[in-house]
Amino acid sequence: MPVKVHWGSPGHWAIRLVWLAATIAVVVYIPTRTQPGTINDMTTALELAAVAMALNLVMGYGGLISLGHSAYFGLGAYTMAVLVDHYGWTQGWTLYIAAVFGFVVGCLTSLPALRLKGVYLALTSIALAVLFPQLVKWQKLEWLTDGARGIDDLQYDEIPVWPILGELDGRRGRAVWMYWLAVIVAVLSYLVCRGIVKSRVGRSLVAIRDNETAAAVMGVNRARTQTIVYGLSAAMTAVAGALFGIGLNGVNPDLRYFTLIGSITFVVIMVIGGGATLWGPIVGAFLYVLVESRTRKWGADSSGVVGALFGWLNSSPATLILAVVFIVLMFVAPFGIVGLLKRLAAKVIVIVPNPAGTRSNVPPVEEGLDPSIDEPFLSASPEETP
Amino acid sequence: MDRFFDAVFLGLSSGAIYALVALGLVVVFRGTGHLNFAAGEMATFSAYIVWVVTTWTLFGDSALPLWLATIGGMVFGFALGAATEVFIVSPLSKKSPLAVFVALIAILLGINAIDSGRWGPPPSEEIDSLFPNDPDDFVRLFGAVWRWEDIGTLIVTLAASALLFLLFAKTKIGLAMRAVASNPDSSKLVGVPTKLVLAGSWGLSGALAALAGVMVAGSQAQVTPTMMFTIFVYASAAATLGGLDSPIGAVVGGLSIGVVENLAAEFAPGWVGQEMKLSVALLCIFVVLFVKPSGLFGTEKVERV
Repeated sequence: MPVKVHWGSPGHWAIRLVWLAATIAVVVYIPTRTQPGTINDMTTALELAAVAMALNLVMGYGGLISLGHSAYFGLGAYTMAVLVDHYGWTQGWTLYIAAVFGFVVGCLTSLPALRLKGVYLALTSIALAVLFPQLVKWQKLEWLTDGARGIDDLQYDEIPVWPILGELDGRRGRAVWMYWLAVIVAVLSYLVCRGIVKSRVGRSLVAIRDNETAAAVMGVNRARTQTIVYGLSAAMTAVAGALFGIGLNGVNPDLRYFTLIGSITFVVIMVIGGGATLWGPIVGAFLYVLVESRTRKWGADSSGVVGALFGWLNSSPATLILAVVFIVLMFVAPFGIVGLLKRLAAKVIVIVPNPAGTRSNVPPVEEGLDPSIDEPFLSASPEETP
Repeated sequence: MDRFFDAVFLGLSSGAIYALVALGLVVVFRGTGHLNFAAGEMATFSAYIVWVVTTWTLFGDSALPLWLATIGGMVFGFALGAATEVFIVSPLSKKSPLAVFVALIAILLGINAIDSGRWGPPPSEEIDSLFPNDPDDFVRLFGAVWRWEDIGTLIVTLAASALLFLLFAKTKIGLAMRAVASNPDSSKLVGVPTKLVLAGSWGLSGALAALAGVMVAGSQAQVTPTMMFTIFVYASAAATLGGLDSPIGAVVGGLSIGVVENLAAEFAPGWVGQEMKLSVALLCIFVVLFVKPSGLFGTEKVERV
């Protein structure tokens, strides 16, 4: 029999605090105790997590398949690069403009979603992902994007000295600085997602996903809800993209995250982590980066097990291993790792929700602290992806 | 007018390839409701297999003829498609459609990794075309150059779609396929071997892809790991344009995309040119879908409330 814990009871708060402390410990451990290479990988993981969270809003909660998020990612990075290189902006300020651009373009490109369903929508969003690199390379836009060459060697300011973060010199310093920026963006993305999911907009979104007609009958404005969420998702993706561009100190149209491969990667990260869960994209991004960075180092001439299994390949077996991992994962955890963990955790601890309208009767809930649904791993019934 | 017919004919022959892959996508979509994202990579893999087979020697030193190797490649493509259905798509689709999507993407990545790992680095894998393709192998019609290779591609595609039409309309297998597509549960109840039929449709898709792969490889005289990337995007666009559940739509969609993009590239070189061809094709689809959300020939989905 699983242990029962009530929403907002001291036990529930204890679980939440332990979870928070563990997260903070990991976040602080990475930049202080690991190598710059690892820090850079983790920065990428955080950026991918932000994108996957954004995608999760549209796809996991909204049920609208998007293979076009690489375009928003690229848009953010290019906004940053063009503003810095052509117009002499400071990099930090370009993040806001990237968000605004992302929002506007996201709202506009959400229009097909109002008319198309399922695979048709997926295929039009592929068009977006394919169009973006082509537009960037287009000769009529070369004055803006520098075409296929891309924009590199951006000017950047000295990193402000901030002693709490430790040494900020040289390669390690820049890695640590980028890492903390990525942490901020990822945390903000998480909070935005959480806010949306638990708000009226999020509930409407899920209602539309589950039964459009019923939602419309209940007074949900489908067009407005989906457009806003698409816009926010694109804005978050664009900010992550701009940050990615800052980290690379340049952009070019053939970077894999700006192409269809990037879109596919984002979706895969979201699904293996767990769609329609708040922590799924984060878990997925870290898992993806960990597997990828481990296997990347294995060359064609690996010895031992890797060499024996993949010796017939003339190049690194990284992608092949990644592919096998994905397939196995989908068999073991079709609703993602977080989905699986939630199911397992439900056998140990069940968080009992308060009956509707009784919030004020439950003693330990303080003013302004909303007891929330779906804390990581702990909700009684895992939400399922559509 | 020469330029016009040149562009049209070039468009028809490149559109024929898109149509062939799109046909495979449609066959799978009708059966299982999934988009075979790995179709392009299956085509490339099969083309590599064909290349391997052509390097074998038969009776002394005569190499295996290409057409025979192509048939072998199609059999391989069939097996690859059917195996994908039996071992991956069918068990996963009971769990979650998104899981199927990720697994198909994983197959795409995996096959591509095998291709580029095994055969990617130079020397390149040179392969002949199925049709005569010397510089002077062409006829002139309406003042345009009609290359034998392009004519061959077009004929093969039209023949394949005609055969597919006969299969669907006139045979028992086709009837079973249509039954499964329209209502899998009922057809299972009346004794249609649903699993076999689904594996068969995926296999058919793989075989069509293999044929397309050999023709693409032949037209560029070598097999390369990334040769089907763009073609897959075109093919999925063609299938969408025609309506994902309509084989005729796939052919019409493929051919018309080929013609439209080549006309645009020919007559607006400054704006479109060779680089923006794909974008034009995709924008056309955007417009068509806005007017007809389920494609030109697709059946509209009616939902009971």
